[in-house]
Amino acid sequence: MKFIALLVAFVALSTNAQKELSGFVKNKRTNLPIANARIHIEETGETSISDETGAFRFLGNYPESIHLHVSAMEFESKVLAFTQSAQALGRQYLIGSLEVYLSERHLDLEEITVSTGINVQKNKSPFLIETRKLSDLNGISTLNMGEALAKIPGVYQASLGNGISKPVIRGLQGIRVVSLLNGMRMEGQQWGGDHGMGISEVGIGSVEVIKGPASLLYGADALGGVLYYSDESYAAVNSESVKVQSLYNSNTNGGALRFLYKQSNQKFRFLMGGSYANHADFQLPNEKFAQNSRFNESVLKTSLSWNGKNKVHHLRYSFNHVMSGLPGHTHDSILNPLEFQSEVQRRKQTIPAQFFDNHYVSFENKWFLDRNEVSLLLGQTMNQLTEYDEKVTIPGIQMRLWNSLYTAKWTHTFSENLKVVNGVQGMFQNNVNGLTATEQLLPNSLSFDNGLFSMWMYSMDRWNFQAGLRYDLRYLKTLEEFNGKQAISKKYGSPNASIGAIYSTDNFTFRTNVSTGYRAPHPSELLADGFHHGALRYEIGDEQLRPERASQLDVSVEVKKDHFVIVVNPFLNNIQQFIYLQPMDSMVSNLPVFAYKQLNRVLFYGSDIGLHYHPHFAHDLHMEATYSYLNVRTKTDSSISMIPPGRLLMSLRYNLNFGKKLQVKDVLVQYTFMNQQNKIAYNETASPAYQLLDASVQLKWNGKAPVDVQVGCRNILNSSYIDHLSRLKNISMPSPGRNIYISINFNISHQLKKQ
Amino acid sequence: MKKVVLFSAFALSFVVTTSSCSKNKCHDCHYDKAGLEIEMGEYCGDDLKQLEALGTFTDSTGTYTVHCHEH
Repeated sequence: MKFIALLVAFVALSTNAQKELSGFVKNKRTNLPIANARIHIEETGETSISDETGAFRFLGNYPESIHLHVSAMEFESKVLAFTQSAQALGRQYLIGSLEVYLSERHLDLEEITVSTGINVQKNKSPFLIETRKLSDLNGISTLNMGEALAKIPGVYQASLGNGISKPVIRGLQGIRVVSLLNGMRMEGQQWGGDHGMGISEVGIGSVEVIKGPASLLYGADALGGVLYYSDESYAAVNSESVKVQSLYNSNTNGGALRFLYKQSNQKFRFLMGGSYANHADFQLPNEKFAQNSRFNESVLKTSLSWNGKNKVHHLRYSFNHVMSGLPGHTHDSILNPLEFQSEVQRRKQTIPAQFFDNHYVSFENKWFLDRNEVSLLLGQTMNQLTEYDEKVTIPGIQMRLWNSLYTAKWTHTFSENLKVVNGVQGMFQNNVNGLTATEQLLPNSLSFDNGLFSMWMYSMDRWNFQAGLRYDLRYLKTLEEFNGKQAISKKYGSPNASIGAIYSTDNFTFRTNVSTGYRAPHPSELLADGFHHGALRYEIGDEQLRPERASQLDVSVEVKKDHFVIVVNPFLNNIQQFIYLQPMDSMVSNLPVFAYKQLNRVLFYGSDIGLHYHPHFAHDLHMEATYSYLNVRTKTDSSISMIPPGRLLMSLRYNLNFGKKLQVKDVLVQYTFMNQQNKIAYNETASPAYQLLDASVQLKWNGKAPVDVQVGCRNILNSSYIDHLSRLKNISMPSPGRNIYISINFNISHQLKKQ
Repeated sequence: MKKVVLFSAFALSFVVTTSSCSKNKCHDCHYDKAGLEIEMGEYCGDDLKQLEALGTFTDSTGTYTVHCHEH
């Protein structure tokens, strides 16, 4: 009741009085103005671009506490936090008085993270959160989001060809990894290893990865980690921009066409984007083609944002439709790998194939008053998964998953040192099977989640502390008899906690945290008793499964010098009652039988190490290397499958910036060494090590409308390899061979008439 | 505002066209007989649905399972 009263009070206090926030961005060394610097208010999402004199200006209504994120090409970005008293927010609020000095870039580490439930500078968060711009992950172009994410330390992809790729965080995947789009949880039958991710790169600006349990922030299921996607920022105030990208890949004889339009004025911001991608069967290193690995994808997204005094609203909608062929289809009892390779590259849709449609709608509201911030996020998602296995007009499987979500948060700043976030979060899911489908993987079912949490942040000199508590309750009910089993009704509940500390100086950062998570068994694990064609197995569930519980200790040490950064991040994740698929050494209709079982304890441990070197004598050269290592310990060492092997990823980037009309911007060479994996489960085979070499060149045509061109080659050496996490490993299908690509981008922006 | 309306109309038509089912798509169908793929020609729409619902083809020598996808 108190919460509702507070909400009503905020709304009632809203007026249209506007304030000016303006200043200059300058070079710290030379004191010269910096043009085209980007100044972004994190709380409202507004952006301004500095002019030739370095001046920028916002006119609007701003909350009492704001974070200004100032960034410019070739300069280190800076985050400025302001907390003013209510009076100071009036007419004189920072008018022309703000001078921001940026240092010339050597290494840029200062970022803001949003995935921890509150805007916080990365170097003040006890949790090491990997924040990546999508444009950086695509320095070497990728075919899907999963491939792009797999460049982040500790993150891998489990793929089924090019069309279906799922993220794996520290060895955990599927339902144990929670994905959020602008704070809204995305649900798309991710329990199935062969079910796609349901997100495209269009309009996505950055992604943050929380590695390990994160139930405190996002409730049940996030045992392996969280992927938090954020939209690209809106256009600068009083401007509009259009971005058009076309991409061609030689390997799939396919590509993508994307567009993004943005417009912003003082009060309203609008964004709309779309894309269409179409890829034929991919080519193998032996020059044959992976039969039925074709896929196509259509995407549309739009966002509208508006603000009033002390409030901001975001209304977002996105939709994607994917058709992905499922390679590995045969009617023969003995698998012949060559049967799945073709001399001809085909594009025409055939079966088996998977179609998925995702609709995401969210309405996010924030109100700011004095020391309080209240946010309310309402969301609705719908995922339809249809799989055609043997017939082109009658689906084998069809499921619609409706998910209604809410998150309400109240952030109160007690003092400069102490901040508290309290909130409630929940979702209501309804899974409905299509009437015409010949099989059912899940019964029609309902689930209802509710969680209550409180998180405290305290800072003291160079130390920042964060601690939180949460309680979650899940109610699960199936609506019909399934596979000869009676309908079930179950309740699961669990407390979760997290505590962490960070000590940070200019050159040294030490973080440590302990966090817990829980995951209630999914209906597929409780009730399965049938074929899962996409996964090529027969699965048997167990109604007596108990919830999994995880506790992780995570430590990171970061040493930063002017031209050198090293980060070491060891971790230990202890999961109790771990649910896994145990091979049963029997076959049903030529498919192996697997049963869901539980292990008392599984220990996932390892480390991510990152190194960034930027030599003083060669300012335009950047060398980066990351190494990710993971091991798993159980009492029965042959239980856990698909453990990612050690991975070394090295990149060398040289900023050339020569030429005037046609500018060669930079050259990037990337080397990947994936170690062998001999730690395997029963019925799983070992994978040999492999190496990949990729390269790209960035060009810019400085015409009337600037054009950016990226030309590159992936798998330059045409290496033949099968990744340990590839779902095509069971049919001995190698990953794609050499791929030459070209990407052409038009970016046009212009100032609107002053309003 | 005009642009927003224009884009919204485009978006709506995009969603409608992309989400609509492919009722009139055609597929080449065949059945396997004595190790050979016997082509049945192209089937579309309701004819295709009927053939798949039946699932088999019968001639004087026997009944064979019909497939309407490539191998």
